Amino acid sequence: MSLAHETLASLRRRLSSKEIHSRDIVKDLLTEIGAREKTVHAFTHIDEKAALAAAEKADSSLPLGGIPIALKDNLNVLGDPCTCSSKILEGYRAPYDATAVARLRHAGAIFLGRTNMDEFAMGSSTENSALGVTRNPWDPTRIPGGSSGGSAAAVAGRLAIAALGSDTGGSIRQPAALCGCVGLKPTYGRISRYGLVAFASSLDQIGPLTRTVEDSAILLSALSGHDPRDNTTELRKPETFLSKPEGSVKGLRVGLPKEYFLPGMNAETEAAIRSASQWFEKNGATLVEVSLPHTPAAIAVYYILATAEASANLARFDGVRYGRRAVDPKDLLDLYQRTRSEGFGPEVKRRIILGTFVLSQGYTDAYYRKAQKVRGLLRQDFESAFTKCDLLLTPTSPEPAFPLGERTQDPLKMYLADVFTISTNLAGNGAISLPCSFTKSNLPIGLQLIGPRFGEEKILQAAHAYEQAHDFWKRMPPV
Amino acid sequence: MSAPKLNVADVAGLARLSLTPDETTKFTAQLSQILSHMETLGQIPTGDVPEVVPPAQPVLRKDIPTPSLSVEAALANAPAQNNDLILVPKIVE
Repeated sequence: MSLAHETLASLRRRLSSKEIHSRDIVKDLLTEIGAREKTVHAFTHIDEKAALAAAEKADSSLPLGGIPIALKDNLNVLGDPCTCSSKILEGYRAPYDATAVARLRHAGAIFLGRTNMDEFAMGSSTENSALGVTRNPWDPTRIPGGSSGGSAAAVAGRLAIAALGSDTGGSIRQPAALCGCVGLKPTYGRISRYGLVAFASSLDQIGPLTRTVEDSAILLSALSGHDPRDNTTELRKPETFLSKPEGSVKGLRVGLPKEYFLPGMNAETEAAIRSASQWFEKNGATLVEVSLPHTPAAIAVYYILATAEASANLARFDGVRYGRRAVDPKDLLDLYQRTRSEGFGPEVKRRIILGTFVLSQGYTDAYYRKAQKVRGLLRQDFESAFTKCDLLLTPTSPEPAFPLGERTQDPLKMYLADVFTISTNLAGNGAISLPCSFTKSNLPIGLQLIGPRFGEEKILQAAHAYEQAHDFWKRMPPV
Repeated sequence: MSAPKLNVADVAGLARLSLTPDETTKFTAQLSQILSHMETLGQIPTGDVPEVVPPAQPVLRKDIPTPSLSVEAALANAPAQNNDLILVPKIVE
């Protein structure tokens, strides 16, 4: 069997016993990429030579020694392009490593492939990429989800062993759900964002996309920890997640938020989530109905705060210090305006305009400040729910992968794809998505488990127990 | 919350974007639909709720200089440069 089909945990064991070499994994991945990347288009950039050279030098005694990881194209890797799938970063080469990248490097990992994304992580389908759309390996006429759609499609399609993504409103979990892999958004403050191109700094978090929950735990252990270069990372003792898998959910109190089960929701998704919750009950967990009453406001709060922060963060792309610059500007204003208008795609422009508007004089009270207050209420909702339960169980996405092009002209409808994931970003909690069923037409459905802040061990234990009792993670996509 | 009056071209100008007439028309329709959705927030009572909710307490480091990017590395991406300076169009006559 091709090594591209194995899990990170299995490859790690075989590398450390010297049964296989890192170059064998890289070669097998390149064979898979050669066969299917043309259809999936998960990557923006692949440097085969550099990956093979790194594999030759890999030290298999390290925790991730010789394991190839794919990286979302918004993470800086010294000397490499970092496009954010945008024309505005044409020609840019990173002058430093992101902390997450440096940590993986330090643990011995090597890097193979930069993955496609919605431009600047703004989107839920990876269709907002200036470098072409990514297709879902389960059905190439459908979207892979977004914004980390390239990472999810690469992992699901056996084109990568594991990948990093970033999640501002669901951008790891939603594509993981739609592509049938495991996506973890850690608690805000768990992983440094230094070197991640900022979209909305009070919401952004880096996390792994993997085949299994165990693989997710391995990467989370390597990535976590305080970084003096990101003052939102909390000082905590280093943890090794899932070091002793319990394999049981006995005694666990699982909350079902009633606002996440709506009349008229996708029937196959609802049935899958109900059936997953019954599995928890049958295996000794208690189901508790809870309420997160401000959930219906989450989309509005998110798209006010995220766009406000984005409008400030993206002001740095002005053609002066790096990236694209407009040709023959007549003055500085012309340089700014033409560089930005030529370099940004429509969704990024829309969000910058919206963010600028909600921060503009006369409107901040009604929009930005109001949204900050409702964000506080959403956070209280979670705190109050976690007094009644240990974890929340919800769908990750209201429906399975939708067809390419279906929502590109209807941004509001696209935004509604994030309805079950954005509240956790607003509250700062960690959450995982893992496969829990397939539709009649063979599209994956994702189950979301949300934990209290810094409750990743609890999330991973429950997710691992569920995963190992099923075989959804073993299924192979047709493409 | 009053009905929003969004002049897309003006706001784009504040954000240093210039839009084509087509973009202006399209964004006006799309953003007004999005803003109407946001109007629903007005119905939520938030009287004495604190306004800013920092998700984490910042952990500050000591203010001690440490090695950083070299001038060469920091300038390597600049589209136009001379004498360790980034060149831009003249801004003062």
